[in-house]
Order: sequence, then structure tokens, then C-alpha cells
Amino acid sequence: MNKQQVDIFPTKQGDGRPLNMEPAKGVLSHLSALEVRARSRQVQPRQRSRVEELRARAEALTVQRDRLKAEIHAHKGIEKHKTRLNNRGAAAAEEEMETEDNENEQLLHLIARVMDLKQLLYAHHIIGGYDITKTRRGKGICVTLSTAYEGVYLETYNMELDVGPTLKISRHNVPPFIPLGELCEPAGRQKDLRGFLDPLLTRLNAFAGRRQQLRLVKELHPSVTVMESNMLCSILVILLSTPREKTTLLCTLNYTDHTRCLPTGVHFDCEDKKLLESSKWKNNRKLLMETPVHKALGAMKNMDCIG
Amino acid sequence: MEDQMKSLLRQLVRRIPIRFLKVTLEKWGRLTVAQQQNIDFTQTKWALADELIAYSEENRLTLRHITELEMIYVIDNPNQGMWHAFQLVDPESDAPAVELMQFKEQFKSHLNELVRNVSVKMKKNTDEAVWIRIAWGDSCSRPNNMRPTYVVHYLQTPYVFVTRLTSKQKTLLSQAMIIATRHQAIKDAHLSGRNFSAIRDLLMQEYEQVFPAKYPSALVERNQIAALPNIEREQAEAEVNRLQMACEAFGGGKLPQLQSVVYKLETKFKDPSNQTFTEREKPFNCVVTFTSKNLLESLRHCASSGIASTPITPLLSSIPRRGRNYFVITDKVSGPSSQINPTV
Repeated sequence: MNKQQVDIFPTKQGDGRPLNMEPAKGVLSHLSALEVRARSRQVQPRQRSRVEELRARAEALTVQRDRLKAEIHAHKGIEKHKTRLNNRGAAAAEEEMETEDNENEQLLHLIARVMDLKQLLYAHHIIGGYDITKTRRGKGICVTLSTAYEGVYLETYNMELDVGPTLKISRHNVPPFIPLGELCEPAGRQKDLRGFLDPLLTRLNAFAGRRQQLRLVKELHPSVTVMESNMLCSILVILLSTPREKTTLLCTLNYTDHTRCLPTGVHFDCEDKKLLESSKWKNNRKLLMETPVHKALGAMKNMDCIG
Repeated sequence: MEDQMKSLLRQLVRRIPIRFLKVTLEKWGRLTVAQQQNIDFTQTKWALADELIAYSEENRLTLRHITELEMIYVIDNPNQGMWHAFQLVDPESDAPAVELMQFKEQFKSHLNELVRNVSVKMKKNTDEAVWIRIAWGDSCSRPNNMRPTYVVHYLQTPYVFVTRLTSKQKTLLSQAMIIATRHQAIKDAHLSGRNFSAIRDLLMQEYEQVFPAKYPSALVERNQIAALPNIEREQAEAEVNRLQMACEAFGGGKLPQLQSVVYKLETKFKDPSNQTFTEREKPFNCVVTFTSKNLLESLRHCASSGIASTPITPLLSSIPRRGRNYFVITDKVSGPSSQINPTV
């Protein structure tokens, strides 16, 4: 027993002497000795690699700890600068003294300032603010309208306005299928900038959202064929195939409300009329009405309704 | 019908350069693979046309198939002949809802009501453009397929691009177009040129426009200025300023290749050294034409390099801003300065 335990350890294992030195013992003991030897041979490399693995892991963790420590340090610095920025008046002189000493500190100070401004800008967008630049010494303004869908920034549109007795668009890069005149004229006459920009931004956002959905349909669902669409993305005709019934369906989505990303009407065409009356496809229609088309198609695929 | 088909095919073979012919025939897809491989593109165009006519007869192709071939070629190579832009105005409330099938049907039926003998073919391109080929005839003659009119329209936009249209056909086309797109009127957009994509891009805003930046003066430029000796500093700043103004007026990056702009002056002659002309009551009429390979780029360069003064005169900046290249300039009634009047 003692012998076996010793054999497990790699230091005594290599020579193999214990076996050959005791020929007097029986076959069974010989076999058990062989077994032990075989087993320990397997264990040995595994153990070695395990140790190495652990060592590497420890090293990686140390590196990570150091990095996090540095990050915490930097963050603390930034926070310090931020609070200092906020109640600047009192500590202004002292702060300047300090920052000049240290280039690193100065960098931290700048980072803090950038973060602060970014947050302000974000807050400004959240409350529905517009980015406006004065042009021509106050005679005009330039408005930036950025569109986004599902947290992704999409196209940015710009508009230059004349600020006279009425608001007039002097130039813009809004696509021609957005009825600018119709949307902006009434509010422009009353010089109501918000009333001028809000409906336009809603339209642009909805358009950008619909276009992004179309892009995602093409990207995520290669088995779905887009048969028809238009520039305004107000109509979408797609060809779906059903794996179970082995038939194809033509699905028409109408987006008559141009201020929304969801369709106002969904229509299926199929030779198999019974299929369309099934509760499954009635549900699918509801799904397409209520969820963005690329997501609805994903859900339909998961339910095995489409191929 | 047979003769028309043959002569149209012959005309097409004559028009299409050999290097495009193979691709166009492949896209057309009305010939069998064996037939396509058999075609000898080194023979004379006349012989080539004979060969294609023989194949077309073998495959029982009709005139419509040949017009299809023509459309494929024209869509890929639109820069032939003058393109004129028109603008639809006063949309009805249901104008944004017009979709392709409805438009097709309405346009064809209305044009057929106006002219008895007319043949219309439509094809939607990959970029959502609807290409319309119209072969006109009249009450006693069959549609002439040898000189068709081409119309390009992007649904839901107010712009219509037309080539090869007589004034009589213009009235007919306008009527069919406004009914099919649910508008009340159509007017000349005063933009024309040989380069189709330039005209389209200018009106559809398909080029990079520069606006007064949200974050003024780019850091890179500021750093460059700082690196230069003091003496150059002021000039460099002015240069950056001029470039910014030039780009704001004409656009940044690659600009639509507009090739000409025409100013029709109907203003009084003003020159203190020339009494006879200055005292004349009537305006002095003349036409000024600018031409260039890429007019907008030339003008932008003029402005950014200081050849043309900045801020840029509305006479020049109106070209991209209002998307037109034909202007009539008259004297303001109350003041001496000239103004740009939209005219029809």
C-alpha cells in the first residue's frame, strides 16, 4: 500500500526499479504494481498541465486586477475632477495649480470634461432637444436632425433655415419623398420652431426605422424574398415559404401611417385558402401588425411557420 | 410588325457598342446559351444584326422582346441625348400612397385614352426607379418604335426625368403623369443635361452636402495651422474659411457631373464708359453659358481658391440649391441689383 502511494509521485516513478527488484511476490501483486504504474503515467502529465493552467490563470487574473485597479484609480480621478468642475468657483485657483503640475492630471481633467459634456448632450437629446447652430450672424440657423432605430444611430439630416418674419427653409438634404413643404409651412408661418421640427423628425425617424427593418429583413432572413418595396419604405411585399404545407405565401405590408414604423395593414395571398384561415396564420398576421417585420419573421421561423 | 421588329433590332445592334453588346444580350436572356456562344462578335454589325434576326425568328420573339432589349441597354447606359427634369406640384392627399401596380395601370390607361396608338413598357430598376418607354403613334399611324421617349420616375418623389420628347407629346405625357401620380400639375424644373445621373443626383439630393458644422473648425486643420510659421497663419485660416464656404455652397466630396448652366440676362446695360447702351430704356438681352466637364466642381474650385469671391453669389449657389441650370435674370423693379426669377 505504502509502495503504491509512493509510486504515484512523479519523483520516484521514473526509474521503474521497485517492480524488477521484487520478483519473489506473486503474479497478482505484479499486476497491481503494473496497474499502479499505468495509472500514475496517465495522472502525471495531466497534473503537470493542470498546474500550468492554474499558474497562467493566476497570472491573467493578476493582470486583470492590476488593470481594474488602474481603471478605478483613473475613474476616481475623473470623478474628483468632475465634482471639482461642478463646484468650480471655490476651488478654481487651487485646481489650476494642481493640474499644471501633472500632465496626467490634466488629461484626466479633460476626460472628465468630455464625459460631462457628452452626458449633457445626451440629456439634451433625451428631452427632445435639437442641435442648432447659428449661421450668417444670426440671420439663419442650421438644424441637425439625427435618426435612430433600436438604439442605433442612422442617417443624419440637416436643414438651413432663414429666420425672418417667418421660418423658411433655404436648403436641406432631406430626401425628396418627405413632404417638407406640407409638414413645415403652417408652423413656419407662425415661427413655431418646435411645431416645425417635431413632425418632421417623427417622419424621418419612422422612415429611417422602416428602412432599417427592410435592411434587417434582407440581412437576417435570406430565405425570405423581398418582391416589392419603395423608396419611402411604405410598402413591402415578401414571399414566404411554409416548410410543413410546402407552399408559398405572398405577404403585403402597408405602412400608410408614415409617422410609424409598424404596418397599418397586413395581407396574405396564397393558393391554399384554408391555410390562411387557420388560427396559426391569423396569429401571424397579428404578430406582423404588432412587431417590427424582421422580428416577426424571426418568431415565425422559430414556430416553424416559415422556412 | 415583323418589319418593325427587324429594323428595331438592326438599329439597336448599330447603336450598342460591341463591348456592351455581349453583356446586354446576356442580361436580356432571350437567346439560348448555345446561340449566345455561337455569336461571332468580330463580324460586321450588319452581319451581326442578320444573325440576331435569325435567332429571334427561331425563338419566335416579338417586337416587345426587342423593346425589352433596348430598355436594358438604355437603363445601363442612360447618357445618350438630352435629359430634361420636370417637377410634379400640388399633390393630392393620396399621392404618397401610390404604388407601382396602380401607377402602371393608371398611366397606361390614361395615355391610351389620350392617344389611341401608343405603346408603353415599364420596368422597375434595382434602385426603385421606374423606367417608362413610350412609342408614340397617332390616330392613323402605328406606334413608332424607332424613336421612343424615355421617362424615369421615382415613385413618391416629385421628379420626372424625360428624354426625346416633342412639345406635343409633352402635353400628353404631363396629363397621364399627373393623373397617375395623383398630382395637380407638372412644371419644368429648368434642369437639363446629357448626364442622366448628374441631373438625378442633384434633384434627389444624392450627393454629400456640407452644412455649417455642429462642431466648428476641425481639429486637424487647427493643428496644421499651428504648425506653420506665423506669417502664413492668417492666409491659411482664410483658405479654410473659403473652402468651407465653397463646400457649403456646392457640396463636398464627389459632385454630380453637371456640364452646363445657362443664364438668360434681361437686365439693363450698365457701363459708365458706354453712354449709348447705358441710356437705353430696353433691357439688354444676352445669354451666358458656362460649360465644363464638371461644372459644380469647377465652381467649387473657383470659390475655394479665391478666383470667385466669397460669400458665393446666389447666382452660382442657386445651381445646386435649387437644382436647376437655366436661369432668367431680370432687374429688380425697386432696386438696381439683379435677381433670379423662376420662369416657365
